Amino acid sequence: MNKKKLGIMLASLLAAGTLLSACTSKDSATSEKSGKNGQPYEINWYTIGTPQKDTEKVFAEVNKYTKKKINATVKMTQIDWGDWDQKSQVMINSGEPFDIIFTNGTSYVQNAQKGAFKDIDGMLEKEGKELKEALNPALLEGIKVNGKIYGVPTNKEAARQSVYTFNKRLVEKYHFDLSKVKTLEDLEPMLKTIKENEPGVTPMATFKAYLPYDYIFNNEMPFAFAMEGDRDHVINQFESDLTMKTYKTMHQYYKAGFLKEDAATSKDSWPMDVENWFVRMGDSQPYADLLWSRSAKYDVVSVPAEDPTTINDSVSGSIQAISATSKNPEKAMEFLTLLNTDPYLRNLVDKGIEGVHYEKNDDGTIKDLPARIDRYNVPSYSLGNFFVLDLYENDPKDKWDKFEEFNKSAKTAPTLGFHFNSDSVRSELASITNISKEFYPALATGSVDPEEYLPKYNKKLKEAGIDKVLKEIQKQFDEWKSKQK
Amino acid sequence: MKRILSDLYKNRVWLLMVLPGTIWLLLFSYLPMFGQVLAFKKFRIDPDGFFASVMNSEWVGFDNFKYLFSTNDAWIITRNTILYNLVFIILGLVTAVATAILLSELINKRLSKVYQTSILFPHFISWVIGSYFVFTFLSTEHGLLNHILGWLHVDPISWYSESKYWPFILVFMSMWKGVGYGSIVYLASIVGIDRTYYEAAMIDGASKWKQIKHVTLPMLKPLMIILTIMNIGRIFNSDFGLFYQVPRDSGALYGVTNVIDTFVYRGLMNLGDIGMSTAAGLYQSAVGFILVIITNYIVRKVDEESALF
Amino acid sequence: MPKLEQTQSTLLISKPVEEIKEGKPKVIRKKYRNPQHMHPAANAIISVLLGILAFTCIFPFIYVIIISFTSEESIVRNGFQLIPKEWSLDAYHYLWGMKESFFRSYGVTIFITIIGTIISVFMITFYAYAISRPQFKYRRFFTFLAFFTMLFSGGLVPTYIVVTQFLHLKNSVWALILPLAMNAFYIIIMRTFFLKSVSESILESARIDGASEWRIFFQIIFPLSLPGIATIALFSTLGYWNDWFTALLYIDNPNLVPLQALLMKIEANLEFMRKNMDVAIMQTSLFDTIPQESAKMAMVVIATLPIAVSYPFFQKYFISGLTIGGVKE
Repeated sequence: MNKKKLGIMLASLLAAGTLLSACTSKDSATSEKSGKNGQPYEINWYTIGTPQKDTEKVFAEVNKYTKKKINATVKMTQIDWGDWDQKSQVMINSGEPFDIIFTNGTSYVQNAQKGAFKDIDGMLEKEGKELKEALNPALLEGIKVNGKIYGVPTNKEAARQSVYTFNKRLVEKYHFDLSKVKTLEDLEPMLKTIKENEPGVTPMATFKAYLPYDYIFNNEMPFAFAMEGDRDHVINQFESDLTMKTYKTMHQYYKAGFLKEDAATSKDSWPMDVENWFVRMGDSQPYADLLWSRSAKYDVVSVPAEDPTTINDSVSGSIQAISATSKNPEKAMEFLTLLNTDPYLRNLVDKGIEGVHYEKNDDGTIKDLPARIDRYNVPSYSLGNFFVLDLYENDPKDKWDKFEEFNKSAKTAPTLGFHFNSDSVRSELASITNISKEFYPALATGSVDPEEYLPKYNKKLKEAGIDKVLKEIQKQFDEWKSKQK
Repeated sequence: MKRILSDLYKNRVWLLMVLPGTIWLLLFSYLPMFGQVLAFKKFRIDPDGFFASVMNSEWVGFDNFKYLFSTNDAWIITRNTILYNLVFIILGLVTAVATAILLSELINKRLSKVYQTSILFPHFISWVIGSYFVFTFLSTEHGLLNHILGWLHVDPISWYSESKYWPFILVFMSMWKGVGYGSIVYLASIVGIDRTYYEAAMIDGASKWKQIKHVTLPMLKPLMIILTIMNIGRIFNSDFGLFYQVPRDSGALYGVTNVIDTFVYRGLMNLGDIGMSTAAGLYQSAVGFILVIITNYIVRKVDEESALF
Repeated sequence: MPKLEQTQSTLLISKPVEEIKEGKPKVIRKKYRNPQHMHPAANAIISVLLGILAFTCIFPFIYVIIISFTSEESIVRNGFQLIPKEWSLDAYHYLWGMKESFFRSYGVTIFITIIGTIISVFMITFYAYAISRPQFKYRRFFTFLAFFTMLFSGGLVPTYIVVTQFLHLKNSVWALILPLAMNAFYIIIMRTFFLKSVSESILESARIDGASEWRIFFQIIFPLSLPGIATIALFSTLGYWNDWFTALLYIDNPNLVPLQALLMKIEANLEFMRKNMDVAIMQTSLFDTIPQESAKMAMVVIATLPIAVSYPFFQKYFISGLTIGGVKE
């Protein structure tokens, strides 16, 4: 018996050994191949989304095309939504060799500042010339970090517009006049009616009150520039009268029972397809109502809470960055150019193989086949240019024109293109983030009285050194501003 | 030199036994430790890989540690972490040992088996799921506890904004989740006790209670001491899920739920600074290490064979 | 030095008996039918107490089962309830629909749990046994070597580099097995077991008979330490079964994702949706594949039951008092 057990152990260890060495040799084989001249270079591309069953099949097609066009093959690896942040960060920090990676928002800025990405200004004049022409210049301007571009933004809606979205059935039932709605305060009479007459409906699907500011980090951190008026000085928005007024309204709504009692800690996602809400808040894009109504299976209607505005967050919503560890950044750039300008490749990557994953109608529009949903369901926004995508048969014909219009009509936020470098105030920021997490959710959902809690919040922020951070932001902002034209 | 070699040869059997484990420890624990250097550096990524990044990043001294001490909150989180852990260590020890002894004494062995299996269940439920469960009890609107209060004509309590209840809730949840797992070691140890001791005790007419006091507990003592020493080493660390998921990250409760691990997690959200997170880990380890050395020293003075090393 | 400890270990064993002799009980109750058992009344009280504890522990699981049979509509409207307004089998239908990836994940989990447990039990018991023996000159050094890793770890990124760039284990099952194979905590526990349950006198007689240390280990130590080994095996089984983080780090290939990682992925995806409502709302069809609450709970049920069922296998080593120690002596 003992010998047998020992045998098992030895055998498994041996097996481990051989498998280990097998893996090692396989890996080194692929990396050797990539360097040789003439051989197609394999581009390693990491992007967000649930891994799909047919990715290999689709990319076999992609590779046929890219081999011909740019003498390269592409290996796309998807990392699931929820795993993305942590996993991509470990990969980047560990200096793993790969070529292209999806990134966005603050993580783009942080990693660019840390030196994780190649700056592509030079390549945009050579390999990416065609690409630069295809992109909205506001996008490229907005994602500059220290004056350099560190990634290819996805050409899509470049602005943000927050909207109040209403359940249309209820709006019509009580004959509400939505044209009068401009601010949070205007909602009150409607909320009251709903609260009194619709017992199964929560008047407000939990949201945080909208404030018209341009934020350095995000809406819960106390560093902002006003969109109107003085656009040159950073403030703590939680000290402004407007914030006090808005949060008071919100608190009044909360006390009136328009929001769920647990709003501050709520984790409800308010799925559209359950009709238990009257008004909610969201970010819009052209034809958003159509999209939302389609997924809700009943009609919704939106009213803007702000004009479309181009902000740092909206331009950096999706970026493909070339890793500093890429062995062949030029090839990666060639691929990104092709992906964003070549309709055939772009649609292939996005929709799969014609006849397998989708069908083309006579008028050029397309229709998904079941295989697209089951086996190749990839996100469009994280892959590339929207404007060369084929339209679905139920899409409005002028969809992309409306997108262009939307982008053109947008106002520019004060800090568009300014990215704060937090190196000198890191300890202060760590404390301030904790304090903000403590107060913001309760205040913004109206769960607590702002008369009492806003002063408390601000006092704690002072103690944590907010003034030092504000000063540093102002200093960097002035420097940046003086360099703009 | 020759002596060393002959010593090594004399111990070859033992060395061979520790060999696989030692290789593992060197590979998976000691080799990665060079990363601790990052606690003193401002991390910058180098295209030549991580090692180059570590070497070429700029030294910043103790800058990365500053945020752990700079504010009033720093004092609160340190206090919370230590107090909770002290309670967890003491109560955890008592409940685990008590449960193990009671389980081993039950006459009906089948019942004992069923109970054992049951108390292990919480170990399988992640804190995320556990927090849903707590929520059904404490939710202001639909919560079971508030329903019960309603029957008793007591005003409902907004549990997630009343911090005074939370130390008890957290301690209860921690015991709930840990007791099954914790009692297994002791149970196995009790089973391993030579039956002849009990027989001798019974011949002397010792009552059950006396048997427990004079046979079982002394036999468990080395294990209790070792486990306590090891827990003291982790006194600055805490179960993240318990303090983050279970209170639903409610700001009103931070005064009693914010511990070092949650503070670091929230604080670095906007910074993503690997130097600062390494610093926090190093700080926790270093304090734990010092405490273990001290405890072990004291234990050795009192009772040498129970000491860890 | 070794001699000193040897005498100490025999001392330890004789101590308790002496203590009992000191505390002389006054009356011997005649009611005791079997003196090894406690008083029936005490037994009843303890049974009830433990029963309450056991119920508190099993209750959440029952509750998870109830939610898994609740209709989604009812969950969204009323939250989780102990007695749902509307029952439904949808969650299990849903899981049946993804049976392909589900069974594969099951296979991965079972494989890594079995192989991993075998490897770690051997590595840990060898190591722990060696450092528990007074004859081993370097035992203190190796104890410390193991203990130190309990407090100081390398951190995420350096470990990631060792696994992916030194050992090249990314996307291999060994990435799920090896990083968890050793654990200083278990080594120290096991060492304590060996120190206590294996007395030198047995070993001495075996050595005189000319048995090699390996033979002693397998023929005497191993059976003698079964409760301890079963504990470590159980811990390590639970560790492998519940692990999802190594999969998050090292596995891109959906075919190699273990069960718990699959569950955590779903949880993390939901969290992502909540935080990125704009993405979620514009790309609705993408998130159709994320199961809803009831299905999640059904997954918890299915992921937990098999391991709970396997527990009695280990349990038999904790419950039936082993007398080998006494007999062999």
